[in-house]
Amino acid sequence: MSTPLLEVTGLSKRFGGFVALENLDLAIHSGERVGLIGPNGSGKSTLVNCLCGTLINETGTVRFEDRNLAGLTAHARTRLGMARSFQLPRPFFSMTIADNIRVPLIYAVNSRPGVRLSESEIGERCIALLDLVGLKDKASQRPVDLTQVEMRKLELARAMAVEPKLLIADEAMAGLSGVEVHDIVTLLIKLNERGVTVVLIEHIMRAVMQFSQRLIVLVSGKKIADGRPDDVIRDPEVVRAYLGQ
Amino acid sequence: MRNLSFALIATVVAAFVFAGARAVNSDYLFFAGYTVLQFVVLATAWNILGGYTGYVNFGSAAFFALGVYTTVFFTKLYPLPIPLLVVIGGVVSGLVGVGMGYLTLRLRGAFFAIATLALAVVLQTLIVNWHFVGGSRGAYVIRPASVAFLDSYIQYLFLIMLTVAVIALIAARAIERSSLGYGFAAIRDDELAAEALGVPTLKLKLIATALSGAFMGMAGAPFPYYIGYVQPATAFGLEYAVNSIAMPMIGGTGSWIGPLVGAILLGSLQQIATVTISSAVNLLLVGLLLVAFVMVAPNGFVGLIREFLLIAAPSRLNARAVIIVMIATYCFVGGILGIVLNLSAVMAPNSVLAAIGATGLILAVFNLVSAYGLLKLQSWSLVLTTIAFAIWIPFSAFYLWLDYAPTSVAFRAVVIVIALVALYYLQTQHVKLLYRTPLSEGRVMP
Amino acid sequence: MTLDLVLNALVAGLLLGGFYAAVTLGISISFGILDIVNIAHPAFVIVGCYIAYILNASFGLDPVLAGLVAMPFFYVAGAAIYQVYYLSFERRGKEALSGLAFFFGILFITEVLLILIYGVDYRYVQASYIDRSFSIGIVQLPNRMLVPCVISFIMFGLLYFYLKRTFTGRAIMAVAQDQLALQLMAASPVRIKRTAFAISVATAAMAGALLIIIQPVEPSVGREYIGRAFAICVLGGLGSLTGTLIGAILIGIAESVTSTFFGPSWAPAVSFGLLLLTLAFRPSGLLGR
Repeated sequence: MSTPLLEVTGLSKRFGGFVALENLDLAIHSGERVGLIGPNGSGKSTLVNCLCGTLINETGTVRFEDRNLAGLTAHARTRLGMARSFQLPRPFFSMTIADNIRVPLIYAVNSRPGVRLSESEIGERCIALLDLVGLKDKASQRPVDLTQVEMRKLELARAMAVEPKLLIADEAMAGLSGVEVHDIVTLLIKLNERGVTVVLIEHIMRAVMQFSQRLIVLVSGKKIADGRPDDVIRDPEVVRAYLGQ
Repeated sequence: MRNLSFALIATVVAAFVFAGARAVNSDYLFFAGYTVLQFVVLATAWNILGGYTGYVNFGSAAFFALGVYTTVFFTKLYPLPIPLLVVIGGVVSGLVGVGMGYLTLRLRGAFFAIATLALAVVLQTLIVNWHFVGGSRGAYVIRPASVAFLDSYIQYLFLIMLTVAVIALIAARAIERSSLGYGFAAIRDDELAAEALGVPTLKLKLIATALSGAFMGMAGAPFPYYIGYVQPATAFGLEYAVNSIAMPMIGGTGSWIGPLVGAILLGSLQQIATVTISSAVNLLLVGLLLVAFVMVAPNGFVGLIREFLLIAAPSRLNARAVIIVMIATYCFVGGILGIVLNLSAVMAPNSVLAAIGATGLILAVFNLVSAYGLLKLQSWSLVLTTIAFAIWIPFSAFYLWLDYAPTSVAFRAVVIVIALVALYYLQTQHVKLLYRTPLSEGRVMP
Repeated sequence: MTLDLVLNALVAGLLLGGFYAAVTLGISISFGILDIVNIAHPAFVIVGCYIAYILNASFGLDPVLAGLVAMPFFYVAGAAIYQVYYLSFERRGKEALSGLAFFFGILFITEVLLILIYGVDYRYVQASYIDRSFSIGIVQLPNRMLVPCVISFIMFGLLYFYLKRTFTGRAIMAVAQDQLALQLMAASPVRIKRTAFAISVATAAMAGALLIIIQPVEPSVGREYIGRAFAICVLGGLGSLTGTLIGAILIGIAESVTSTFFGPSWAPAVSFGLLLLTLAFRPSGLLGR
C-alpha cells in the first residue's frame, strides 16, 4: 500500500468547551475522488480549516506527501500542493477576474523551487484556466459583475490555479440549479482525470454519488463511515444520523 | 509605461519644478514648497501600507519623529551631510516599523492600528525623557550659513525633499505594478483568501510596514534643519497623523496619483489657510473632509474618477468622459479652495464681507457635492452643477466690481468663461443621455 | 523604598485602576463585545469632562451629578453615531479601513473643536469634598481618587447586572456571538447593537466627570487614554467585563508604582509596554473569549 497523499491521525479541535473534531483518522490516496458528507455543524469546514492551516488543531498530525504539516502556515501548505475553495466565495473584489487568477499563479506556482514563469506564460495560464471554467470572455470584468454560479466557478478556478495535488472543494455547489451542479461536477471530474486528487464536501447527494469513488461521513466531529458510496449510504448508522432526516 | 521611462519623466518634471521655483526666487515659496513635498512623501508612504495593503497606521507622527530625532541625535554627536541623515532616518524608521509589525501584524488589522497610536505616545514619552536630544526643552539645530551652488539653505532642503518625493513616487508606482502590488491588493481585499492561495501575508505586510515607515523617516530627517528648533510636541504633532491619512484618503488610495493629488491640494491649501485662518480651524477642515470622504467616497477622488471611467468609458476614453472628469475636478478643487478662502471672510467683522463669505461657502459646498454627483452619475447632479455654475457667474462678476487689479480681472474673466462653457456643455443631449438612465446598479452605456 | 511609599503607591494604583475601568468600560462594550473600533471614545470622555466643567462652573453642580445629567444626552448621541456608522460602513461590509478612519476623524474633529472653543488651558472642577482625604493607618486615600473609584465600581456592577440579567443585556452578549440566532429570536441585531453602542458612549459622560475630579483637563489629555484603554481591554481579554476591571487595576498599579519610583513622565509608556507584551504572548488576554 503506497503512502497516502494526505494522512490525518488523531486530529482534534475544540472551541472553548465545544469539541468540533474528535480524534479523527483519515487517509486519502493520490488520484482518488472522495466525497465528504455530514449534517450541519458536524465539523466538515473545521476539518478543512485544520488541514489547510487556517485553524490550528489541538492534537493529532496531518501529513501531506509524508511530510508533517505542523507549524506550517496556510500559504506554505498551499505551495506544497494543497488547495481549497471557500464555501462562500471570497474573490478579490478590487481586481479583474483575470487578476484574481494571477495572484495564485504568482504566489503559489511561481514561487515553487525550480519554477520560473515569464509574464506571458502567466498570462497564458490565466486565460487557459478561465477558458476551462467558461469565464474567458469576462476576463477583464470585476467579480461584482458575476452571477452566483460564475463566482463559484471563479472560486474553483482560483483554487485550480494553485496547480494543486489535492483540491478540497468546500460546498462549492450550494444553491445552484441542477444544470449548474452538473457543470461543476463535470469540471471536477475533468480535473481529477488530469491527476488532481479531489475531496468534495457537499450536501447535494446526487452530486456526491455521481462524483465519489469513496465516501466519508462525519457526524458531530467523528468519522462514522468510510468506504464505497453504495455501501456507506446503506449503513444504518449513516441513515439514522444524516440521510434519514 | 515602463518603470524607467516613468522615472526619467518624473525626474524631468522635478527639475522643471525646481527651476521654476528658482525663477520666482522667493524664499517663502521654498519654505511652503518644502512642507507640501514633505506631505507628498508622508501621504505616499502611508498609502503603501494603508491604501495598497489595507492596514491603517495612525502613528505616522511616530515614524516621522524617528527621522527627526535620528538627525538631532547625530547632529549632537557629529554633524553628517543631510542626504546621509535621510538614509539613516529611513533605515531606523523602517526597522522600528518591522519590529512593531512583527509583534502586531499577526493579529487583526484593528490591533495594528491601535498599536500604532500607542507607539506614537510611547515614543514621545521616551524622547521627552531623553536629555541628550533635548527632552521636553527641545533641541536647537544650527543651519549652515550657506551652501555651494545654491542661493540659500532652504533651496538645498527643498531640493532634498523634492528628490525624496520623486523616489517615493517612483517606488510606489513600481510596487503597484509588480507582483508585490498584487500581493498587497490581495491582502487588502481578502487576507484569508490570499493566505489560502499562497500569498505569504505576514512577510508582505512586514515589507509594506518597513517601506512605509522608512519613507516617513526619510521625510522627517531634514526637518530639524528646516525648523531650527525641535520640540517633541512639534515633531509628534497631530497634523502629521491626520494629514498622512487624510491626504491619501481624499486624493485616492488605489494608486500613486491619489496621495500626490491629495498632498498637493490639501498641502497648498493649508499653507494658504494658515495665513488667512487659524491653524486649528484649518486642521478641523481636514478632519471634516476626511470623515466626509470616508463615508461617501472611501477610494478618494481619484477612485471616484476611476469608477466613473469604468462606466462612462469602459474600453477607450471618449471626449464626453474626459470633459466631465475635467468639470468635476474643477468643481472639486474649486470647492475646497472656496471653503478655505471664504472661511476667513465669513469670520470678518465687516458684514458685507461676511455675507459674501457665506455665499461663497455655500457655493463651494455646492461645487463639492456637484463633483461627487457628476462622478457618481447621479441625475440630480446635472441640475445642481447647473445651478452652481449659474450662481458663479454673477458672483464672480460681483468680485470684479470689488477689485480692479488686472490679475484679478483676468482671473475672474477666466472663471466666468469656464462657467459659461461648462453650463452650455452640461445642457447638451449627449451629456443628458449619460445621466438619464439609472446607472447605479446597471451597466448600460448610452 | 519604605513600606509607607510602597503601600501608598499600591493603593493609589488600585484607586487609579478603578477609575481607568470607568474609562475603558465603553471600549470594552464597543470593541470587546460589538467589535467596533471606536478610538474616538477617549474624545467623548474629554467632552464629558468639559460638560462637567461647564455645569460646575456655571451652576455649581457637583461633577458626579453633572455626569449623571449628561448621560442621557450622550446615550442619544451614541445611538445617532452608531446609525451613521452602520449605514456608511457596517452594512456595506467595509468596516476595516474606512471604519477606523471614520472614528479617527471624529476623534480628531472633537479634539480640535474643543481647542477652538476652550483653548488649551487646563480646566478643573470645584467641589467641597475634592480636596479632602482620609487615611487608614499610613495609607492615604484622597477623596479625589476615592470617589471616582467607588463610582466606577458602581457603574461596573450595574452594567454587569444589566448584561447578565435583563433581556436586552443578554441579547447584547448574544449579538457578539451569533447574529443569525438573534434574528431568529425576533430581536433586531442592529437595534441591539445600537443600544449597546449608545450605552458605551453614555458611560463616557460619567467617566469624563470622574476624570476631571481626579486631574485638570485640557483637550489633548484624551490621547493618552487611547493606548491605555485598549491596553486594558486587550490585557483583560476582549468580551469580558470582569477582565477589563482586573486589567484596569493591574495597569493602574503598574503606572502608579512606575510613577512613584521612576518619575511620572514614564507612566504613559507602561500601558503600551504591557499592550505589546500581551499582544506578543497572550493575545486573548487574561479572561478573553
